[in-house]
Amino acid sequence: MRPPSSLRQEFLKKWMMGLQRYSTSKKNMSILERKKAIKLSADVAIASARNGTTCWSRALIANGYSKDGGDDKHLVEQILGPESERLIMKKVLTGGASVCNKRMRSKKILKRSCGIQRTRKFAPQVALASSIAKRLVRKRTQILRSLIPGGEFMNDVTLIEETLDYIISLRAQVDVMRSLASASELASEP
Amino acid sequence: MNTASPKMLQCSDMTVLERQNACLKWQQEQLQQQQQQEQQSYFSELSGVFSSQVQGFQGGLVSGDSVLGDMVMTRQVKPDPGLETAWHEMEKVDMAAMGFGPCGYSNGPDFDMNYAISRTSSCPTFVAAAVAAQAVEVKGKESIVSEKMGSTVGRGSFKKRKVDTLQNSKVVAEDDSKRIKACAEEGESKITGPNTNKSSSSNNKNKKETSTGTSKENSKVSDVQKPDYIHVRARRGQATDSHSLAERVRREKISERMKYLQDLVPGCNKITGKAGMLDEIINYVQSLQRQVEFLSMKLAAVNPRPDFNIDNLFAKDVFPSCATNFPAVGMSSEMANNPPYVQFNPVEQVVSSCGLEMGINSLDMALRRTISAPVSIPYASFLDSSCFTQIQPSATWDVELQNLYNVAFDQEGSMPFPSQPFTGTLLEKQNWGPELI
Repeated sequence: MRPPSSLRQEFLKKWMMGLQRYSTSKKNMSILERKKAIKLSADVAIASARNGTTCWSRALIANGYSKDGGDDKHLVEQILGPESERLIMKKVLTGGASVCNKRMRSKKILKRSCGIQRTRKFAPQVALASSIAKRLVRKRTQILRSLIPGGEFMNDVTLIEETLDYIISLRAQVDVMRSLASASELASEP
Repeated sequence: MNTASPKMLQCSDMTVLERQNACLKWQQEQLQQQQQQEQQSYFSELSGVFSSQVQGFQGGLVSGDSVLGDMVMTRQVKPDPGLETAWHEMEKVDMAAMGFGPCGYSNGPDFDMNYAISRTSSCPTFVAAAVAAQAVEVKGKESIVSEKMGSTVGRGSFKKRKVDTLQNSKVVAEDDSKRIKACAEEGESKITGPNTNKSSSSNNKNKKETSTGTSKENSKVSDVQKPDYIHVRARRGQATDSHSLAERVRREKISERMKYLQDLVPGCNKITGKAGMLDEIINYVQSLQRQVEFLSMKLAAVNPRPDFNIDNLFAKDVFPSCATNFPAVGMSSEMANNPPYVQFNPVEQVVSSCGLEMGINSLDMALRRTISAPVSIPYASFLDSSCFTQIQPSATWDVELQNLYNVAFDQEGSMPFPSQPFTGTLLEKQNWGPELI
């Protein structure tokens, strides 16, 4: 893996490039539009800084690409620039995974219904604690899945791995953004 | 095997006398050695013999036999670490002399030690086994040299059997019997090579080579076998069918990753239990995502344009140094076209430096907070925030800005994370590049 500093540099570089591209296309926008543009470009930049090697980055790009239709699609293409074809091609591949996910979900429903029957059958004392713990873990895993972009398609092991990577990247993103924010705040203060 | 080796002793060639002489001499020597307790000097002498490689038949045979004798003795006095190291030394010299030097013995000393131990334990029986196999296979060929050689080795091993009453463990014996074929073949190929040259010294060398070669191959095989399978062990009472094993591997993988996450997420290592850890992780990820939201909002609020002027801000001062320090960005032309956005005058300088001081304080606090969480992974470096803490408010704004920019882009990677004094004393230590000083 690369050191975090290079990740930060890459992120900053891509972010700046994306913002430059974006700002050349649109001149006047409200603060919310600006915020959305900055957020989206930061997300896309951190995702493309990962170079499409991880699931979450691909899912992030795909989400930005297909969230609100044409406008955002345009934006992501602009931010990504020449790399957009390659990275969005990967999005098509991840789109295929949603079908699998549906199948998986139906399987899970089946399993859950079976599991309820089984817990009713077993003796309540011993099985209860472990099933409660399992349920807690499963619940939290589901929440984590919803937090990590593209986490719905992952199994447990990859989910944890991607969480690791995502946390590292988010940290880099937050650091860069915070430093830029404080710098620009100081600059525009007087 | 024990029946085979006396038989081989009988069917020896003309050099019987010589060999018997050598045998006697060797026996004497071994007696002496067993009386001697200074093994180190002996080994050094032996290694000298090995490394010289110009040895007559007598000396060669003696040394060759004393290899086996040493094996015996090392088996007997195995727990002595000094002896083992001596053996290890000798073996090294031996290998180097035999030309096995570059064959992958340049690993760590641990490996060599292990190898030496395993060799002392498994080699003698192995040689004997190889000899037995040779005796079977060589019969048809009637190669005098190989038989003689085998007989010397066999006699050595026979002696070993007599002296060494340590039982060969079953596993080793089985192992050896498995590998007998290949090694016997290898030994034969090595024997038949110098068959034309019947000088006895070369035979001895050959013998030594076979012994070292076989033992080497022994270790090699065991080395190769290691990474072939994933080591999964069921403890007592655990299920051993493949599904349970796979499930256990999966769980172990998850728990290992969770450990990494525990190191990464601050405040997570006090929590035991998977649910609590997942809670912490979820909170951390959510907080990071919220921070990104908040920061983008802040940036949008501060900057009236979406490319938020940071380029302009830096382009004013830093463009000459940026072109040298930061060529990979690829937006220098755009930055050159941008007019300088903010003009600073000395009055603003005071205000901004005050603001910077405030920023330093808050960042410093943030840094301390994040440091106080135990972070062992090197990704967790807070260099971007530390770059702000280095800036002294007494410096002029231009230098500050350039420093800021330089640090953010240039020194970001090379700064060591821990033990930084966050009081601005680092300013003197850093080299700011020629254009800044």
